[in-house]
Amino acid sequence: MVGAITFINLAWLVPVFPLLGFLIIGFSGKGLMHNMAGIIGSSTILLSFLYTATLFFVMKSSGQDSATITLFNWIAIGSMNIPFAFLIDHLSLTMMLVITGVGTLIHIYSIGYMHHDERVNTFFAQMNLFTFSMLLLVMGANYLVLFIGWEGVGLCSYLLIGFWFKNPAYNYAARKAFIINRIGDLGFILGIILLFFTFKTVTFSEVFAQAASFPTGTTVITLITILLLVGAVGKSAQIPLFTWLPDAMAGPTPVSALIHAATMVTAGIYMIARSSILYNLAPITLNIIIGIGLATALMAAIIGLKQNDIKKVLAYSTVSQLGYMFLALGLGAYSTAVFHVTTHAFFKALLFLGAGSVIHAMGGEQDIMKMGGLKSKMPITYWTFLAATLAISGIPPFSGFFSKDLILNKAFEHNIILYILALGGALITCFYMFRLLYLVFFGEQRLTNAHPHESPQAMTIPLIVLAVLSVFGGFLNVPSLFGGNSNFGSFLQSATTSLSMEEMSHSTETILILVSLALLGLVIYFAYSTFVTRSSVPKADSEPMSFFGKVVYNKFYIDEIYDALFEKPLGFLSDFFFNKVENAVLDPAVDGIGTLTARFGTLVRKLQQGNMSFYLFAMVAGILLFIIFILII
Amino acid sequence: MKEISSAIQIIPLDYYIVLSGTLFSIGLMGVLFRRNIIAILMCIELMFNSVNLLLTAFSAYHSDPAGQVFVFFIMIVAAAEVAVGLSIVVMMKRNVESVDINLLNRLKW
Amino acid sequence: MILLIILLIPFVASLLLLLVKHAETVKKLALVSSVLNLLLTFYLLFSGSSTGVATQSYVFAGSQFSLGYDGVSLVMILLTNLLFPFIILAGFNREQKQPQILYALILFAQSALIGVFLAQNAFLFYIFWELSLIPVYFILLLWGGENRRAITLKFFIYTLAGSLFLLFGIIFLYQLTPGLHTTDFAVINQLVIPESTQIWLFWILFIAFAIKMPVFPFHTWQPSTYTMASTQGVMILAGVMTKMGIYGALRFLFPIIPLGVLFWQNTVIILSLIVVIYASVIAFRQANLKKLIAFSSMAHISLMAAAMFVLNYYSIQGVLFQVISHGVTIVALFYLVHIIEEKTGTLELSQMGGIKLIAPRLAILMLIVVLGSIALPLTAGFVGEFLMITGLFQQSVWFAAIGGITMILGAVYMLYAYQRVMLGETRADYKPITDLGLLDYCILIPLILILLGLGVYPQPIFNLVETAVVAMQNFLLPIANVATSFAN
Repeated sequence: MVGAITFINLAWLVPVFPLLGFLIIGFSGKGLMHNMAGIIGSSTILLSFLYTATLFFVMKSSGQDSATITLFNWIAIGSMNIPFAFLIDHLSLTMMLVITGVGTLIHIYSIGYMHHDERVNTFFAQMNLFTFSMLLLVMGANYLVLFIGWEGVGLCSYLLIGFWFKNPAYNYAARKAFIINRIGDLGFILGIILLFFTFKTVTFSEVFAQAASFPTGTTVITLITILLLVGAVGKSAQIPLFTWLPDAMAGPTPVSALIHAATMVTAGIYMIARSSILYNLAPITLNIIIGIGLATALMAAIIGLKQNDIKKVLAYSTVSQLGYMFLALGLGAYSTAVFHVTTHAFFKALLFLGAGSVIHAMGGEQDIMKMGGLKSKMPITYWTFLAATLAISGIPPFSGFFSKDLILNKAFEHNIILYILALGGALITCFYMFRLLYLVFFGEQRLTNAHPHESPQAMTIPLIVLAVLSVFGGFLNVPSLFGGNSNFGSFLQSATTSLSMEEMSHSTETILILVSLALLGLVIYFAYSTFVTRSSVPKADSEPMSFFGKVVYNKFYIDEIYDALFEKPLGFLSDFFFNKVENAVLDPAVDGIGTLTARFGTLVRKLQQGNMSFYLFAMVAGILLFIIFILII
Repeated sequence: MKEISSAIQIIPLDYYIVLSGTLFSIGLMGVLFRRNIIAILMCIELMFNSVNLLLTAFSAYHSDPAGQVFVFFIMIVAAAEVAVGLSIVVMMKRNVESVDINLLNRLKW
Repeated sequence: MILLIILLIPFVASLLLLLVKHAETVKKLALVSSVLNLLLTFYLLFSGSSTGVATQSYVFAGSQFSLGYDGVSLVMILLTNLLFPFIILAGFNREQKQPQILYALILFAQSALIGVFLAQNAFLFYIFWELSLIPVYFILLLWGGENRRAITLKFFIYTLAGSLFLLFGIIFLYQLTPGLHTTDFAVINQLVIPESTQIWLFWILFIAFAIKMPVFPFHTWQPSTYTMASTQGVMILAGVMTKMGIYGALRFLFPIIPLGVLFWQNTVIILSLIVVIYASVIAFRQANLKKLIAFSSMAHISLMAAAMFVLNYYSIQGVLFQVISHGVTIVALFYLVHIIEEKTGTLELSQMGGIKLIAPRLAILMLIVVLGSIALPLTAGFVGEFLMITGLFQQSVWFAAIGGITMILGAVYMLYAYQRVMLGETRADYKPITDLGLLDYCILIPLILILLGLGVYPQPIFNLVETAVVAMQNFLLPIANVATSFAN
């Protein structure tokens, strides 16, 4: 028992391993032998994973629901006491397992993928730093430690998106990601401050204990939750702050898999799930979340229909899936959202890694119009990609089915319109995913000068492991309809408080599943007939499109609108302030004082003619005037 | 000491004031209207001495030696001033071959 | 006695330097003196009395010459003595004209600055305040860059004009003191001044500090002066001298004329917040790297000014913490700019790019400092900004939101500058760039370590100023019901 406690208290080692990896790789610089960086980088994450896994069992056997590990007092002034502390409970354990587990696989994959890059050391150093920050984020025992990780992952995302920094467009994308995240972060930090003033603490356990005494719908709680939501919207790429995520695909593909699919973007969902007690007290915020989530899910899915870059399709699909998670959060089904986070981490990481494998094979080509026919040349990639596509489309018994179906059920319980819209989004998802699959792997190869080949083992083994997880991950949380007992959901019960809803009857549930399965089948058939049987390839950019098609192809012109609304005015304002205010009003105004004095001097110096007699006369006259003045007064 | 001050007090104070006032005015007029710098210096001396005279008179009338101390100070300052003044005159004579004050008109901005 | 020694070491050293012939010896001697001073400062901090207030009086030529310190002064002294060794190091291995005079002036400035922070007497404060201007004026004038005469003159007259108001204020306070007049802070602080007087006296005293900081609309001297100044000059100016304004405000305004401060509080906060946005927005489009950083510094200092006038516990803690953090960051930034200018021969952003390819270590260090400047958590900048925004929040949510916008705008312009300098393709015209040398590491690594160290463990600074901040609060407590309840 003592050993168990010590083991739990040493849980701070979990983030320390990647940090050490970062320091070792970072400081050894070019001195590392080939592949060494990758091996060190992967093994630190693996160590973290092993530690976390052991921790999971130790916690389970010791019957402890949560443990807090305080390292030191970070900021302690007045009544503000913010310790640097970690909280290990079921929610953070789940996230830690996902991060280190999927993280290990992606790191191993990267050894193969980044093999030829000359800055592979930097890559692994930054990946390790990212893992460290992400672990800090999910392990933090208060909002401010969470915020450290929150900004830290933002930084690493910035670094890794701009990894190939010679390209100005990539740098722009990196900056855009960081700045949009910062907009969210401002809301987040204001939320934390308001939280502090309301509860006099930012530690999760204390905040939630006190929150119990607040009635539902209290203004201040609503305000806090909305401010925190702003942060989550930025980090998890929801409307209106989602535009950075598709651009973030500029980074190497493993980065997209780890940061922009599996872990970082789900930080917002984690944070809201963590604050479930507060959100339960704010029905208004929950409704906002439903709106944002649904709108994002649909919009991103529609944009995904018309994208031709393999990574952009996946990026919009990520945004769309994040929208579903938000929908689940808004419905008060926090554990469902986290469950979807988990399954999504499996299949989306797999999709990205598969895409990376394809890009690797095609020699850097990302345009799906130029691919095709890779099924026979890359069997492992194909089969794993297929598994992930089936999972994301929600075909039973793949993992996506269980998590997505749960969200759809919750939507149905809430409102039938919500259900229809969410199901529509799922169908669109299914369509563009199969479109992607068919265009890449079926038909004829359309690029003549490429010689695709299966990727090395370092890349395929993670694909296989992830495929297994994508296929069977859903069984973590088998609903009662299939004789399960929702293990995953009840596991999270101690950490998140989901809103209770009346269970729908099994018959309704069965009908819903059958309806959605039928529709999915139709969509897959339609996609098959369009892209395989008729082997139609998306039109080239230059060809005319219908109005709606054009709007979708250009992503609803959101980037252009933001550019016109924020970026241009900021530049204009900057020039205006500098040229018109600073240099034309303020500075001349100050100089004007000097000029005025000089002018006055010119006026007065007319008296100074240099005539000594006049000076003497003036002096005497002055003295006389002074005497007269004194005498009069 | 006693005798001198009583001797001074024989003449009424008004006379001293009028005399030194006259001397001062003469000096002042000289300073204002003469153009010869040496004459101006002399007029300044005259003004000094009119003040000195008055100071001595007041000192005697009030039986306060402070006035006389002042006179000594003024004499020292006057001597110093003459030394500087005359050297300026010499320099001026050397440079512009004249002692006319109106030639010193470059003393401006 | 130690205070007098700390004050005199740089002064004596500066006189000695004038006698030394050899340039390298001059620099070494200056460094030794400043390091010695730093060690003495640490001794002062750790000698136990650091949390309290101490005053030591020396009678000199019949007038009282009293030095003393409290937490606020200690922070300032620490900053000054911490930064000067690096400022001096920045000149090593570099050709400089007349090093004897330059380093004598630098050390003289250090002495004067220490005097400002130690003076326990308003008049003494004023003397040191003016004294510090003289060496800086000459450093700017003699070692400055383009167009230095006009710019230096403007800077000098600007600050001098402000000081004149301060002198007037001090004389006014002097004649208010009872009995035998004095300008001791201890006496002045006890004065009871009617509110109507305080309201106008506020601006008389504040203008000098506002110009030094600088706060809108008294900032116009700053960008051009920073851009023109030599690296060491700008390090002294931006690193330490701007903090004089903050120190002056804390020392003069809050204890002496609290009612005036309360009356003008919101005006000053709003003015400062305007500059925060204004300077950040301007920085976004600056073509000159040094000017960009000048505007960024203006934004940061203005945020500090705004937070200072919120007058609550967290904001003042935040401001004092930020004093150190900003000083360290800005000195490191200007040193980096200096290296970049040396290597590329330009400061125009349009002519830079891709330096990271040739000098990756320079790029990494610059990134860390840039991140410190945009207040990323685990750098000192975050702790300071978090506390200041917390303080602003207590006054008004909108103040906090506007102050917080620096987080966004700071990221916008700093990352833009970083990208323009470091990333992209290398320009062909400066191929033979070498990466950092040993000297550069000696300067940058300690500064970065301080930055990160205080970000992870800020407690020592908090403890240092705790008593002083509580005391400052007590000045304000009885006269107004400032919402201090949050602090306790």
